[in-house]
Amino acid sequence: MTQVRSLRRRVELGLIVLATIIVASAYGLAGLGATASLPADIMAFLGLVLALLVGAHIAVRRLAPNADGLLLPMAGLLNGIGYVFVARLDPELAAPQTTWMALGVVAFVVTLFVVRRPRDLERYRYTFLLIGIGLLLVPFVPGIGYSNQGATIWARIGPISFQPGEFAKLALTIFFAGYLVERRELLAVSTFRVGPLMLPDPKHLGPLLLAWTGALGIMVFQNELGSSLLLFTVFLVLVWVATERLSYLVLGGLLFAGGAAAAVTQFGHVGRRIEAWLDPWGDPDVTRDSAYQVVQAAYAMAHGGLTGTGIGLGNPGVIPVVTTDMIFAAIGEELGLVGATAVLIAFLLFVGAGLRTAVAAEQPFEKLLATGLSTLIAIQAFIIIGGVIRVLPLTGIALPFVAYGGSSLLANWVVLALLLRISDDVTTRQLRQMEGEAVGVR
Amino acid sequence: MNRQIRRLALGLMLCYVVLFAQLNNVQVFGAERLRDNPDNNREIVANYSRPRGTISTADGVVVARSVEVDTDLLRQREYPEGELFAQVSGFYSFHFGATGVEDSYDEELAGETSDLELRNLSDLFVERDRSGSVVLSIRSDVQQVARDALGEREGSVVALDVETGEVLALWSYPSYDPNLVSAPDLEEAAAARDLYLLDERDPMLGRAYQQRYFPGSTFKIVTSVAGLESGLVTTDSPSYDAVASWTPPLTTRPISNNGDVCGGTLFEILRVSCNSAFAEMGSLTLGPQVLLEGAESVGFNSAPPIDLPVPAVSVFPESFGDALETPGSDTVDPDQPGTIFEDTPSLALSSIGGFDVRASPLHMALITAGIANNGRLPEPHVVREIRDADGALVRTIEPEVWLSGMSPATAATMREAMIGVVESGTGTGARIPGYVVGGKTGTARVTNDPPQSHAWMVAFAGPPGETPQVAVAVVVLAQPGATETGGGRVAAPIARAVLERALQPAPVPEAVDPNAPDGEVPADGTGDDAGAAPQASTAGRRR
Repeated sequence: MTQVRSLRRRVELGLIVLATIIVASAYGLAGLGATASLPADIMAFLGLVLALLVGAHIAVRRLAPNADGLLLPMAGLLNGIGYVFVARLDPELAAPQTTWMALGVVAFVVTLFVVRRPRDLERYRYTFLLIGIGLLLVPFVPGIGYSNQGATIWARIGPISFQPGEFAKLALTIFFAGYLVERRELLAVSTFRVGPLMLPDPKHLGPLLLAWTGALGIMVFQNELGSSLLLFTVFLVLVWVATERLSYLVLGGLLFAGGAAAAVTQFGHVGRRIEAWLDPWGDPDVTRDSAYQVVQAAYAMAHGGLTGTGIGLGNPGVIPVVTTDMIFAAIGEELGLVGATAVLIAFLLFVGAGLRTAVAAEQPFEKLLATGLSTLIAIQAFIIIGGVIRVLPLTGIALPFVAYGGSSLLANWVVLALLLRISDDVTTRQLRQMEGEAVGVR
Repeated sequence: MNRQIRRLALGLMLCYVVLFAQLNNVQVFGAERLRDNPDNNREIVANYSRPRGTISTADGVVVARSVEVDTDLLRQREYPEGELFAQVSGFYSFHFGATGVEDSYDEELAGETSDLELRNLSDLFVERDRSGSVVLSIRSDVQQVARDALGEREGSVVALDVETGEVLALWSYPSYDPNLVSAPDLEEAAAARDLYLLDERDPMLGRAYQQRYFPGSTFKIVTSVAGLESGLVTTDSPSYDAVASWTPPLTTRPISNNGDVCGGTLFEILRVSCNSAFAEMGSLTLGPQVLLEGAESVGFNSAPPIDLPVPAVSVFPESFGDALETPGSDTVDPDQPGTIFEDTPSLALSSIGGFDVRASPLHMALITAGIANNGRLPEPHVVREIRDADGALVRTIEPEVWLSGMSPATAATMREAMIGVVESGTGTGARIPGYVVGGKTGTARVTNDPPQSHAWMVAFAGPPGETPQVAVAVVVLAQPGATETGGGRVAAPIARAVLERALQPAPVPEAVDPNAPDGEVPADGTGDDAGAAPQASTAGRRR
């Protein structure tokens, strides 16, 4: 048991050191590219990144010693690369992003410390539902909520602005997992058939319709295509995994497509986004800002080509909101196809590790939660990257761990902590079992 | 549930494969198309952000330079002298492209020519500033005199070195401030540009070389050259009748001498700019073919090969209709002098620079330079040298002959005739004590009600007993009045002032600090040395 543990932690530490070297090299190159000299604070920066990641690593050693060894280094790598780009694109954001990164690690440690067993979360599923809905509504509270760039997803308390939706996604994912564990058997019973689809009792379809309505509500009232798509997808995936019934996936997909189609025709802003996606070089009056963004992103990435311009040597500043929504375009320009693919692979490895944990888990809640959290990260990254490179309509959600933004960063570090917590729980139990069996044989 | 999770993993994997495929499409396979999209200005951004050399005058005044700025574009073009050299340097705008020298020497300024890219073998390995600097042949003192002499009258002044073709001054009023048009802020730049474009006087047009006007009586030197070269005109014959006006065949509209009575041989009719005599010379003594060939031999109907973008082509009509009759002959012989053509009245007007004849001020200066330079019209150029970022000479623009427009004998005759114009004819306003000056005035009527004319003066000057050194062309547009004195009264003094200044030695070029190609002020901000404080030093010179 200690062998597995120490191996996983040694791999983790090794990967963290590797990630730190990569991030520090990128930081140094960014400085060289922009000013032809090494940044004066390179050693301080190197130390800081290493300290944060090693701190997180020590917390894992103490609090979740059997957890997967790949998750933390991947998150650290993505966060570090993101930091280098944020600092390179807008030096004024470097200090706040550093703070958020540090707070993210603190939130990570606190989460590991507070949530000792995943089932603690399951117990509070309805509390999380209320928290989730509450957070989604915060932007509409007068005096606190406000709109920015068309999306009503912001809240401001005192000097601090944040996107409550980032935490709402997390709370709702926890709720979905807990709720579905409770109801999965009921939902899995098919009572009637429509064509090739086996459908459950209509009265159990309620939650599906509720989630659908909620997702459409977000899309319409908050002007947030991305978040509604993200939440509804995570919900559908969890219903499908929990009930093992494909009909939910198909039905949900149809529902969402229908709702989206209605929104496109009924609400101008959604329609414009779709037009900008289909033909960004078309009528600029119709497509407006989002078309300009994706067009500039495409030029930036084409400019970068296979190997990129080098960090600090490109000109990603011409892309609007490049530090947040469009940061992947900046990475594509300056690191090229090679660097952009590396980011994709880092996400795949992270999500793969999360789903491996889900498969290994025996407790349904752990399984569903690990699946939900992994899907959350995977789909969020897919939606925004897809938006930037025109696989999907552009939506204003953050690239997990990479984009500038405190709420997103904090929420993602908590997601990471929960995944590690589940992974630790699962492995510990397996190891105990193996130990028991070994003892039994003897 | 594990089956679903594995399928989910596969599904997510597929999503990322789609991303990867599209990424390949954007960054590699479809990248060329995106890069070539006309809407894509990234190339321009990249060029704009790169180091770019200075443009300075022959006497070391910085006309254009790049300054580092804290924007996405990194650098911004600055024109310390404002409008004074705007029509030579042009502008280099992120939004509107480049004009003038900024355009025609773009590769040198950006350091993209092979002689700038590879100065030493070590350049293969070492990154350095490869931008080239352009040294103009324009002299700031001559340019300033041209500007002061023309004042706030619409018009152009061109001064040339007659032998090398180096342009010493190229000024037009109104001009514009290239700083405003080159502003990195689109709205600011567009507002300035719109203002200039709405101005019907078109201040951004380099009218000294990009616009053409009725040359009026200055064209009489071309008619004279055509006559002398063809042998149909000599200094002794023909001698035209002294008349107040002359009516060409096929028309009833007389060509008048503005109330004077004049006539005689070449020197006399040129001296007083006799319309009736030159109209008859061009239309009947020479005929369309001889006049056209004469005009084309001094560059009409082709563009002067100046090193600036889009020079205007001076035009002379290529046809005056069919031959109708040859007086004193039963047959019609178009080559026979005196033959009457369908458009002979137009030919008569063309002979004195009217009808459809148009010439740019630059071109008239070149013809004058050709006469001064024994018949050889030089290739005009505004740039003298290219230097590298360290100030070392890369390339000198060598003088070339554009056209051997006339024989040395014809040129010598014309010089003599034109010296007569300045000594005792219509061009006395251009006389410079201690120098030999020759020239020709012109007054080209543009409207009758009220009468307005372009006042012209072309002239050359040099020390006595030597070949003339400098040629000028001056046009002042739409001046009130229509008498032949317009050119002498209005344009001749400007020509004189510019010639006088250009005959003086050029000011000694200031040492340009090679370490300040981007116009950086030293860290302490005092900037005592000349290279770092060109604004201060020019202000001093301008007094």
